[in-house]
Amino acid sequence: MTEQNKPYEEDNYTHNIHRNRERTLDRRGFMKTMVGAAGVFAVSSLPWGGVAARELWNFADDEDERQKIANVTDVPVGESFDFTYPTEHDSALLIRLAENDYVAYQNACTHLQCPVFWEKESWEMICPCHHGYFSAETGEPTGGPPRRPLPEIELQVQDGTIYAVKVKRYEA
Amino acid sequence: MKRSYVGVLALCLVLLLNIVFLQLAVHQFFFERYTLVLIYVALNILLFPIALWIYKKEKNQTMNSG
Repeated sequence: MTEQNKPYEEDNYTHNIHRNRERTLDRRGFMKTMVGAAGVFAVSSLPWGGVAARELWNFADDEDERQKIANVTDVPVGESFDFTYPTEHDSALLIRLAENDYVAYQNACTHLQCPVFWEKESWEMICPCHHGYFSAETGEPTGGPPRRPLPEIELQVQDGTIYAVKVKRYEA
Repeated sequence: MKRSYVGVLALCLVLLLNIVFLQLAVHQFFFERYTLVLIYVALNILLFPIALWIYKKEKNQTMNSG
């Protein structure tokens, strides 16, 4: 077919495309997008794998530092005390359940990280954002959307002072 | 030319598995089950060459039949 006899003006080898960019939405283009998306997913899961691998292989030397929280006299029975542990960005909550019974948890709700508060009246820890409830004795969720327990902090009481020793790991 | 949507469906399935594995990896990360995280991340990465293989296979088939 010579140049003069060309039946269509446009440079379009199938002659049935009527809209701009119509071919970019075809089956081939869709499949290319899907392959690209698979690549994006592969790359975006790398950081999780990286941190997980680091946690696995540096397990032993990942000890938290001992840190003073409060004096025993600062926390009456049934009251709570806010602190941060192991870094200043991890807020935590110390609760004195009985004369010699102290518990402490990192208080970011395991649902969507809202701060969890101690409610003395109901003897429970409450996340006000979506009404999540946690048992103060174990840190386990007792109601609402959270499914995982709050990370517990191991404590030591020495000479009238309460120390945070380390963040307990979940039972794997 | 008869159109085959097998490749499209297979790639949709790959994307669905991608979403599921990433979700599981993130969940297991917060449960501190790091071995499982590594398994799901590996599966997610493995899906990319599979997707590429499906695409290439489908492209060649279309070229041969069309």
